Amino acid sequence: MTQPLYITGIAQSPQSPSSRAWYRFKTDRWGMIGLFVVSIYFVLTLGVWFGLWGTNWSQTSHAFHQPASVTHWFGTNAIGQDIANRGIYATKVAFEVGLLVAICATLLGTLTGSLAGFKHNTWIDSVILWVMGVLDSIPFYLFVAAIAYAMSEWIFAMHLAMILVFWTETARIVRAEVMRLKHMEFVESAQALGQRQALILFKHIIPNTNHLLIIQATITFVAAIKTEVILSFLGLGVKEGISWGLMIAESTNDIQAGYFNNFLVASGLLFILVIAFNFFADALQDALDPKLQH
Amino acid sequence: MNIWPFVIKKLIGAIPLLLGVTLLAFLLMVYFGPDLTYELLGKNPSQQDIDNIRTILGYDQPFIWRYLNYLRELLTFDFGMSMMKDQPVIDMLTQAIPVSLLLMLPGFILGNVLAIILALKATQYRGLWPDKTIMTFAVIGMSVSFLVVIIAFQIIFSSSYGLDWFPVRGWNLTSQEGHFSLWQYLYHVSVPTLATLFVSLGYNTRFYRAVLVEEMNKDYITTARASGHSTTRITYQFMLKNAMIPIITRVMFSIPLIIISGSLLIESYFGIPGVGQITYDAIIAGDQAVLKAVIGLTSVLFVLVLLIAEIIYRVFDPRIDSRQAA
Amino acid sequence: MRTKLTLTLLLVLLLSACQQESTESTQTLRHSEKKVYRHSEDDRPNSLDPIKASTVYSNLLVVNIFDTLYAYKYLERPYALKPNLAVDMPSISENGLVYTIKIKPEVRFTDHLAFTNGQGREVKAQDFVYSIMRSFDPNNGGTGAWLWQGKIVGIDDWREAGADYDALIPGLLALDDYTIQIKLTEPYPQLTYTLAMGFSAITPREVVEHLGQEFGSKPVGSGPFKLTSFNSDTAYLAKNPNFRAEPLDLAYEGYDPELHSKYGIQKLSGKAPPFIDELEVHFIKETSSRWHSFTKGNEIHYTTVPKDKQSAVILQQEPLQLHPQITDQYHYTYGLEAGFVYHGFNMQDPDFGISGDEVQNQKNHALRCAIRKAHNWSQKNRAFYFGLGQVFPGIIPPSVPEFDPAMSIDSVEVDIEAARTLLSDYGWTADNLPLFEYHVSGSVLQKQFFEQMRGFMHAIGYPANKIKYQPYPNFGQFNKAVKNRQAPFFFMGWTLDYPDAENTLQLFYGPNETPGQNNFNYHNPKFDALFEQSRILQPSTERTALYREMNQMVVDDCVVISGLSRNKIHLWHKNVITFPDREIVGGFHLRYVDIIPE
Repeated sequence: MTQPLYITGIAQSPQSPSSRAWYRFKTDRWGMIGLFVVSIYFVLTLGVWFGLWGTNWSQTSHAFHQPASVTHWFGTNAIGQDIANRGIYATKVAFEVGLLVAICATLLGTLTGSLAGFKHNTWIDSVILWVMGVLDSIPFYLFVAAIAYAMSEWIFAMHLAMILVFWTETARIVRAEVMRLKHMEFVESAQALGQRQALILFKHIIPNTNHLLIIQATITFVAAIKTEVILSFLGLGVKEGISWGLMIAESTNDIQAGYFNNFLVASGLLFILVIAFNFFADALQDALDPKLQH
Repeated sequence: MNIWPFVIKKLIGAIPLLLGVTLLAFLLMVYFGPDLTYELLGKNPSQQDIDNIRTILGYDQPFIWRYLNYLRELLTFDFGMSMMKDQPVIDMLTQAIPVSLLLMLPGFILGNVLAIILALKATQYRGLWPDKTIMTFAVIGMSVSFLVVIIAFQIIFSSSYGLDWFPVRGWNLTSQEGHFSLWQYLYHVSVPTLATLFVSLGYNTRFYRAVLVEEMNKDYITTARASGHSTTRITYQFMLKNAMIPIITRVMFSIPLIIISGSLLIESYFGIPGVGQITYDAIIAGDQAVLKAVIGLTSVLFVLVLLIAEIIYRVFDPRIDSRQAA
Repeated sequence: MRTKLTLTLLLVLLLSACQQESTESTQTLRHSEKKVYRHSEDDRPNSLDPIKASTVYSNLLVVNIFDTLYAYKYLERPYALKPNLAVDMPSISENGLVYTIKIKPEVRFTDHLAFTNGQGREVKAQDFVYSIMRSFDPNNGGTGAWLWQGKIVGIDDWREAGADYDALIPGLLALDDYTIQIKLTEPYPQLTYTLAMGFSAITPREVVEHLGQEFGSKPVGSGPFKLTSFNSDTAYLAKNPNFRAEPLDLAYEGYDPELHSKYGIQKLSGKAPPFIDELEVHFIKETSSRWHSFTKGNEIHYTTVPKDKQSAVILQQEPLQLHPQITDQYHYTYGLEAGFVYHGFNMQDPDFGISGDEVQNQKNHALRCAIRKAHNWSQKNRAFYFGLGQVFPGIIPPSVPEFDPAMSIDSVEVDIEAARTLLSDYGWTADNLPLFEYHVSGSVLQKQFFEQMRGFMHAIGYPANKIKYQPYPNFGQFNKAVKNRQAPFFFMGWTLDYPDAENTLQLFYGPNETPGQNNFNYHNPKFDALFEQSRILQPSTERTALYREMNQMVVDDCVVISGLSRNKIHLWHKNVITFPDREIVGGFHLRYVDIIPE
């Protein structure tokens, strides 16, 4: 078997690293499609934010389980609400949940994880490990239910609970990676040159964990949206508005009864976003990968 | 290499972790958990009845006293009675944990092994169609809700509307003669395993692929290839071994969750009396006796996992060890 | 590549092998002579201790494991009591205060280590006395004391004096081994009903004292079945081989050939129950899982039709007709639940209830009535209850004999115009309407209920930003909020304990205010006076008139938006002979289940 291990021969360009990355990204067809789709979702979200569309998501009517028509693009659900409107409105909620949780959890995980790895075998590492161990040992639902109860007035209670739970996985991975990187030649030479610790950490070590972070952030983004589905099913999900999770949970009843619109719209929107996001992230990973740049 | 001083040091170091977990969890359940009083009260209770139930539940004791009592229970392994089920907590857990383990183990092992195999293939053909195909399937697996997968698989494999090959409910691993029967086991565990696989494969493959791609870009692989080692040898001997740290991290930290959390959704859809349902019921109702035991056991397991992970890191990356010695 | 292929092959082989094995094992099962009936319920019980049997699910098991003095006739409707462990109906003194009950001799508890020689001993009158005492022992955490507290002479004093089981309660005596005497403080016409509830089931003292709290998971009684094992998914019971032989008398049980002959029940005539060897009760919350298990053929034998299967099962609604492919394969019956669902206001809430100010009271009354007029029962019925629920005005549901079919249905009719007029007449505008909080135990279904309610409110001009969803992570926390009067508006259901409207009217009796059952904290001196007057009366037209008067008061005061009684469709396999009922008859029908061998 003589298969190529990776594709080489990407054109060289003399520009800065970021524009070089962008140049490389542009040549990835799938990545571009992914970016395009994610942008459409983002525009949808902005439109909902500014009240341009998705405004009629809560209106009920006599007309239950209507098939698709001009007035109801994807029909209506079990209590006569317009499914298209709900699906669109839920895009905003998904972005709120997914982005907020993914960004916060990844940031928190990266900072703590790299700090712990860098300061391995000091009290800082011990404290961070302690906090992670404590959070990991508590059953997830107990944690979510307790936070939901403690902060019942606050609509981001669920988001907070997920951030507090999800960052530890990122942190552990980053920590292990940093512990490894710390002994690499390039870090050791930086150490030898007497560079400041913080500079070494932020300039040499964290950038080298980028690929893991991007993958971890995508996984967290998807996990957040999907956890929201399960939490909604258990009655612990979003309180204000409607989410794909709630729609899928509602639709588990509809499917049984032979009405698929609610399910198809919610999981279709979720599916397309997740796929696009993944392609985008893959391409981004390749583009950013320092090893592929020379 | 003498490992015992290290183990003992780590175990002593784990005591604060245990205290932290139990304290935080206990705080959460006492102050933010459900109040079982109203679940256990009869209709038309008087204030006296309410006080009485609170005494039975121990709610009238000061927090610190209750927490110390909890620590005593952990040390003596005596968790008392479930307030909801009138059953010794230890009995409930010793019945349910093996069930959850048997239920989750095949999916867990296959999910990781298959994911690593697929990730290796994808890495080997990076950017080509096998890679794209594998990753597209991974994304599909990641994008579908677990809930939907369970319902769909149950219809496809178990119901009379589908293939009707496997049971919907009725977890029973004994044969007619009352012995453990492997066939019965496979009969009951297949569909749950397929559902778990469908969902976990995507996540795992994706993660392992990222790890392996990173390894592949390392200089030593390029060197190995240049010096004429075969691709297979490179893949298995060098790459996999060096990618072990993230892989072990991921696998190890799933273990306590598998043992203690089980899978609530799988258990309730397939009627399997595992620990997931017990834990969830206890959380929802506020059955503190059960929760205390579950949380105590989870944190002990986490400590063990952390310890074992540290030991394995040393095996796979001796540099960590040598540095510490220095 | 090759390894993957081998793995796949191996998997397929394994699967097909165990496939074969399983068909064989079901076949051997079929040939064996054991009759196993697999029942299903939509939720699970907690403790099986009779004194804690407060849910339908625990009651169902308790009345099968233990004996009660009375039971309901198997087929008779409306529900009628019959003696169970008692020899006859109680003999009641002239003034209605002294009940004397004889119990059957030679009835034995099932075996347990705690008995002498490990063999179950005879059930005595003293055991009944002991069993009722247990509900009043503060160390037990029983939930049934409300049935008798303040009603049996001396029982509350007994509790105060420290609950000593060897002390005598003057109102609760075993005159001899087979005679029970109950003395009441005032007439209590519902007493006999309470003796058919799981709460009054008879427990052996030796075993209770031997097991302590664990008795709730290892119950021992003298009922038709005994528990073999019990987990979060299934309760396994076996026939009690020593259960007293009492041949089934169909005429006495209310057999009507027109209604019951199609189920084959007449074949059981003259045989002594229980007819099956093993009883399994599966607790299945997930409707799709329950349905697939039922339609599979070799798993559960019985289910109620879940909401999501309505379109697959129902062909036509009025009169109800099921799809032929369902009726070809399964027997069915359908009936009204003994209970109802309703929305209630907390009358102590400053924004919606009664405050000190008379003008404000009238404004709030108008607001409550307007919300009630906005509520569209028929839409709710169609969306959530197959359109099969029966909407009725007031709080006396159609399942009790005191129900008034002639009562005005105005209070359950939607009238948007009238609601809007009412609001504007009393000076309510979008600006001064109070925040409407919808408190609920969170779930997807409850959120849909809320969204529909929000839709109704929207129609009368209630602004969207003043309607708030307030979910609790679980029922315990929701219940606590209601009992602590923090929920101004709530959606609940009530299941009757016995077929007498007193059971729902007491929900509005002032002294029962929270933490009692009067979640509305409704205080109406006139209502309370009528209630006190009616509760000591035997069933009579006079009492029914009082009941209906109270009912009208609750409607006029707009305390509740009520109500709807759900209709349940029961399906069971054709090789099973049964007439299921999950209402007041509860679990009493399970002893009459039989399986026709193929």
